[in-house]
Amino acid sequence: MRQSLINEGAMERNRVIRRLGSAGLWLNPIFAYFFLWAPILILVLFSFNESRSVASFTGFTLKWYNNILNNVMGAERAFSTEIMLNAFRNSLFVGTVATAISTVLGTMIALAMARGRFRGKRLLDGLLFLPVVIPEITQAISLAIFFKVVFDWVALISGERMFPGFHTIIAAHVTFNISYVAIVVRARLADMNPQLEEAANDLGANPWQTFWRVTFPLILPGVISGALLAFTLSLDDFVITFFTSGVGTSTLPVFVYGLLKLTVTPEVNAISTIMMVLSTILIGISLAMQGRNASRA
Amino acid sequence: MTSYDVELKDIVKDFESGGGRVRAVDHVSVDIADGEFFALLGPSGCGKTTTLRLIAGFEQPTAGHILIRGRAMEGIPAYHRPVNTVFQDYALFPHLTVEQNIMFGLQMEGVHKREAVKLAGEALEMVRLPGVGERKPHQLSGGQQQRVALARSLVKQPAVLLLDEPLGALDLKLRKNMQYELKALQRDVGITFIYVTHDQEEAITMADRIAVMNEGKMLQVGTPKQIYEHPETHFVADFIGETNFIAGALTERGGDGYGSVRLQDGSVIRAQLADTLGSAASAVTVAIRPERIGISTPLNPPTAFGGGVDSSEIAMLDALLVDSQYIGTDTRFTLRIGDGIELVARLQNIDDLAVNTLRIGQKVKVFWQESSATVLDR
Repeated sequence: MRQSLINEGAMERNRVIRRLGSAGLWLNPIFAYFFLWAPILILVLFSFNESRSVASFTGFTLKWYNNILNNVMGAERAFSTEIMLNAFRNSLFVGTVATAISTVLGTMIALAMARGRFRGKRLLDGLLFLPVVIPEITQAISLAIFFKVVFDWVALISGERMFPGFHTIIAAHVTFNISYVAIVVRARLADMNPQLEEAANDLGANPWQTFWRVTFPLILPGVISGALLAFTLSLDDFVITFFTSGVGTSTLPVFVYGLLKLTVTPEVNAISTIMMVLSTILIGISLAMQGRNASRA
Repeated sequence: MTSYDVELKDIVKDFESGGGRVRAVDHVSVDIADGEFFALLGPSGCGKTTTLRLIAGFEQPTAGHILIRGRAMEGIPAYHRPVNTVFQDYALFPHLTVEQNIMFGLQMEGVHKREAVKLAGEALEMVRLPGVGERKPHQLSGGQQQRVALARSLVKQPAVLLLDEPLGALDLKLRKNMQYELKALQRDVGITFIYVTHDQEEAITMADRIAVMNEGKMLQVGTPKQIYEHPETHFVADFIGETNFIAGALTERGGDGYGSVRLQDGSVIRAQLADTLGSAASAVTVAIRPERIGISTPLNPPTAFGGGVDSSEIAMLDALLVDSQYIGTDTRFTLRIGDGIELVARLQNIDDLAVNTLRIGQKVKVFWQESSATVLDR
């Protein structure tokens, strides 16, 4: 009898601990997501704020979005908005070109790493991850110095002085995007049965035909996914762009940063919200493509 | 004009591995006739798949020559060889439909689309899988994918079809059915099949000839009957079916191809000498199949060989019945002869009298025809 009472006490205690534990487990993600999303939610909220001030929310409006839209349509032109849209166009241009170059190069590297047999492959494989892990600021400064050195050499040889601009931003974006594309495509290649290429060979397809008819269609979801990731990273990048851009070639994040020194306009909130939605959609598609089963493509 | 489809002439294949060299194929020579069903049999890692890949052109031999229909294959890539492969895991293109898979090889040859569609349909009918052309491979069962892989290769009408453990991934029942079907199909199309398997039963039931491989070497090439009844090495005898090995010393070599072997307990038996037996060999082993061994008791005299066979051609030893095991069609007896030497004998359960009267612990005699036992290097 005594024994069973003690057991009941212990069991009751355990039950309370379990309850507290499960409540804690339940609250933990709520807090985590709150911290993750609260600042962004505030940004989104204020992009719909009627007042120019971020001090209080005075009412719902779409006029900041409307301003941007009007500017795109060319109806009404506020000077600051026009600069901002110019920066956005720069972002799209840099992103598109950098993505195109890094997708081709990254896919080629992934293929070489997965299929090639050569010395130092493991070292090169490790180096591929470097841009992903080294601090962005380190990469930014190194690129800035690198471009300066190159320009000095060019000046020395040709006598012509070069300046940073789209070409430097694009080159910088390509350097970090290559790694991301290569990693995503490699994951896809690793899933692919290498005998499929042998089967194509066996059925009379030469290496060129084998690549375009078998390998490429099978890794295409990985390539698209890598490209979307590269485009998003390019669109979002601030640090590296900041260190490698020249006059008149600011991308949107760099422009927004410059603007913050003065004031945060509601248009900035609106365009930031648009960028965030765009990035989220791109990453969503990218993840969906990666998730597709390689054996069922 | 040669009648051989595939000739392997002293093929060697070395692989680099971790600084060292591994010899996967070790001086293999064999000629495979037109229309033959030829099995490469051996345990995993014996070099059978590498041999197949060398013929297919996926690997290049380190030394030696491969001829297909009399034409040397040096420098000819896989996509120009008149051979096609059925892969172990089928390797169907997952992004193409079944029909597109089968048409792939035809389109590479430049066959017109309409003609390719027609041929693909015929190929699917040949493997008894009509009407699945529009499906994707992953929508088919393993057995169906196997048939599609077969159709994809056969539609090319290759000189030689290479099959790499094609039934390995199927369950037992399906595998049995496919064995008969494959054999029938091969007879119909008349294409030379080179069939890699580690399943000795599969090789024996399907192949016209079998090559047994181990550690890169081709140990014996022959018909299933030759391989089973006259294994030339210890490995072959051991790998194919169940075999008793009795260690002994070769005391006499007769001119008739028979020799006398003294067993450890001093008794002497005569058995056929294997062709491969070393000329100086004295420490040997006698191999005998369990179903070739008879058991006699005073109640059951060895009448099985009565009449025609001279009793002098029968080996007979005293034995103690140690164990018996009922295994359906047969009963498996473990018998002790001399000290420590055990033999396994299998008697069919048809002969109820003989099987049922035997008791564990009983003293019996074991006997066999001398021509059923082979003397091999130990």
